Amino acid sequence: MSQPRSSGYLRTRYAQDWMLLETRTQRVGFALFAACALALPFFAGAFHLDIANQVLLASIGAVALMLLTGYAGQISLGHAGLLAAGAFTTGILFKEFAAPFWVTLPAAAAVGAALGVIFGLPSLRLRGLYLAVSTLALHFIVIYLGSEYESKRGFSTGVVIDPPRLGSWTLTDARAWYFVLLAAATATVLFSLNLMRSRTGRAWRAIHGRETVAGALGISVQRAKLSAFVVSSTLTAVAGCLFAYYRGFVSAEAFSLFLTIQYVAMVIIGGLGSILGALLGAVFVVLFPYGIEAAMKATALADRLSSLIFAVNYAAFGLVMILFLVFEPKGLVGIWQRVQAWFLLWPFKQKPVGK
Amino acid sequence: MTPPLLRVEKLEVVYHHVITAVQGISLEVPEGSIVALLGTNGAGKTTTLRAISGFLGVDDARVTEGSIEYRGHRIENLPPHRITSRGITLVPERSKVFENLTVVENIEAVVPRPGADARKLAEAVWEYFPVLARLRDREAGYLSGGERQMLAIGSALACAPELLLVDELSQGLAPLIVEELLHRLQAIRKDLGMTLLLVEQNAAVALDVADYAYVMENGRIVLDGTPEKLRSHQDIREFYLGTGAGSGARRSYRDVKQYRRSRRWYG
Amino acid sequence: MQLAVNIAVLAAIYALVSCGYVLIYRTSRVLNLAHGELMMLGAYGLFTTASLFAGYPLLAIATSALLALIVGVLVYVLLMRHMAGEAVLAAVLTTIALGILLRGTIILFWTAQAQHPIRALGLTNQSIAIGDAKISAVGLTLIVVTACVYAGLYAFLRYTAWGIRMRAAGQNPLLAAQRGIGLHRIYALAWGLATFTAGLAGMLVACDSALDQTMATIGLKAFPAALVGGLDSLLGALLGSLIVSASEVLIIYYVDPLLSEVVPFIVLLAMLVVRPWGLLGTREELDRV
Repeated sequence: MSQPRSSGYLRTRYAQDWMLLETRTQRVGFALFAACALALPFFAGAFHLDIANQVLLASIGAVALMLLTGYAGQISLGHAGLLAAGAFTTGILFKEFAAPFWVTLPAAAAVGAALGVIFGLPSLRLRGLYLAVSTLALHFIVIYLGSEYESKRGFSTGVVIDPPRLGSWTLTDARAWYFVLLAAATATVLFSLNLMRSRTGRAWRAIHGRETVAGALGISVQRAKLSAFVVSSTLTAVAGCLFAYYRGFVSAEAFSLFLTIQYVAMVIIGGLGSILGALLGAVFVVLFPYGIEAAMKATALADRLSSLIFAVNYAAFGLVMILFLVFEPKGLVGIWQRVQAWFLLWPFKQKPVGK
Repeated sequence: MTPPLLRVEKLEVVYHHVITAVQGISLEVPEGSIVALLGTNGAGKTTTLRAISGFLGVDDARVTEGSIEYRGHRIENLPPHRITSRGITLVPERSKVFENLTVVENIEAVVPRPGADARKLAEAVWEYFPVLARLRDREAGYLSGGERQMLAIGSALACAPELLLVDELSQGLAPLIVEELLHRLQAIRKDLGMTLLLVEQNAAVALDVADYAYVMENGRIVLDGTPEKLRSHQDIREFYLGTGAGSGARRSYRDVKQYRRSRRWYG
Repeated sequence: MQLAVNIAVLAAIYALVSCGYVLIYRTSRVLNLAHGELMMLGAYGLFTTASLFAGYPLLAIATSALLALIVGVLVYVLLMRHMAGEAVLAAVLTTIALGILLRGTIILFWTAQAQHPIRALGLTNQSIAIGDAKISAVGLTLIVVTACVYAGLYAFLRYTAWGIRMRAAGQNPLLAAQRGIGLHRIYALAWGLATFTAGLAGMLVACDSALDQTMATIGLKAFPAALVGGLDSLLGALLGSLIVSASEVLIIYYVDPLLSEVVPFIVLLAMLVVRPWGLLGTREELDRV
């Protein structure tokens, strides 16, 4: 965003401080990317379109978690629980009251915000490890409540939801979904980018650095923490609601601890403290199983291990996560920055001190 | 002439890749002697000690230049526990005892230098510090400051050091206790044939027992000599002993003529 | 009476698992969330050695227990050693990733079907009557083994030089290194011991019921027990296990069996709100994490 760049672009007006895309290269690059993103559904088949939709869904959740963990520094292991809360709010409202999507979506957001307060309350007393553990506990409780609803109401396999309907038009087509999700993801990213440049965003970064100092500088640590939890979980619950509509189906099994780990992995693999990182991480984690499958097909291992493909997936995912944590803690964004720096500094290798 | 037990040559230590805390100091600790390293806060004494005992990595500091030789072997890149097993033990400035362990466990936890008789050493600790023997089963967190310092010295002795590094012995202790501890250290050194390197702000105390002393300022050694020589030195009297002519009006060393004359540049 | 027996067996399981959490946490300040998977690995190890040494059940058990110890040391040496000095989150996530890796590998090596190591060992699990209650032979063994492990750990930490060093390293690693204690060696020992006890728990639980992927959940449920007691206290782990298992058994019996998955976590939350450092934990630990 507002980093000084080692190029000939200089800011000459104050308004330029507030531009998200500062340079012509950035603008051209973004325009190309936007054009590709808009053109994609007209070229991709059903299979690839589904993957693209999954990436968009995941990126909303990943950005939400990035706000909380990457910027505000609050560790959460309850992300799947929050997604589940959004999805189940949608499912329950639909089943019990036949509520349309323009009721369920705000309701999911409201439930998310309320849960954000509950998830965030322990953070006022707890830090680090203990906070992670308390969110983990809340995850199990949310999932329990969901499965309790399923079993009490006799939906033992899950709750089926009709696609959202506006007048006579229903949202079923994968291509239409793509544009809806693209709009939602773009809105989330824009919201987050702008939030991080506001007073709230700065407060979050301050409590990430050091709480005591932030408090001494006049930031209300409690408010910053709670607001981080509330914003993050509201976004997450909305993502959960969209997820429920997209799948047309809600089940407690879908929101296992593994889902939380996947989202945490997106944030870590992408690179903590960067919205771009959250997006890259979402792409990486969603594409990963398909990549493994393709690799196994290519090496003819697939026939022998076809029944175990999910196990291979699991093991490979764990391995990749370990490799990133040990060798590249800054994630994909870190790699990207290093590549950039290499080109910028060539033929030199070291950055000058103090940059 | 035999080489000294410890020889620090042109040592330079850099924190976080940018801050140079020690700028090329050299000092020697001959076997069997008591050497004092004096200086005010931020002079680089503690950094020097950390470099010798292998603890720079903890604060993201590095030896960038120079060497530390112990008995002719370079030790500046060894991990701390290896340095201890070579015979150098540090009595640290802060958090010097295991607070949740009892006194006797504090002594038993140490790993003595290979070849040393651990049992005999532990007995010796009880002999030198009868107070500790009485408090054997007390948790170390409940000891008073003086008792803690005794325990810290005791558990360092149990490592069977040949060279004992003592960081700020006098800090936070009553003058009488400091005196007593120093005399006991002197006695121990004589009995066990140890060598001592004392790091002190309190020059009066250190000059009482030392055979030789170095004065550090801003990461450099600015003066060195025998206690007699230093005591008679005008600047030392003024800055450290508070007995000089213009005592009270504290100036920087840089303004002092003798400093300019005697400061040493290395490397 | 039957309830009391059930509580005792469950508490023994939780206690045997949670002492591993405590051992690793109090020496190296790392929360090992791969503990459940390591426990499962121990059980599968027994399944393999049982078919390898068919007819010699004791040899099979001893071999797999030794293997568990070695695996624990290897985990530290190959993986966790690199996480020294990193942020808490990074270390915890590494153990989570390790758990996923282990789980996938286990399925690859030993299918996902339920196994019965006790049959492979050639033993049977009889039930023994105590008054009007019944306890399985393995359940009784579990209680005895847990008691032995805790007594052994207590003696080790209190009276042996390496045990005292382990406590010292956990309390003040810098000073410990200064006093000649090799930290890597201590941490590797803690991981080895923790994995060893986890392996024992895994083997016994697998012998009592069956062995499949759900075993890792037991590991996860034992973790609240460790935290309720205080993450740095062995006695606390024992106490926490009793509390968690008692509330779990009683709620399943009187309220709703579905709750069994969440009860430990509800107890945990209640504890975190009231007394985050646990029943017998040290208070200042909170600020260090």
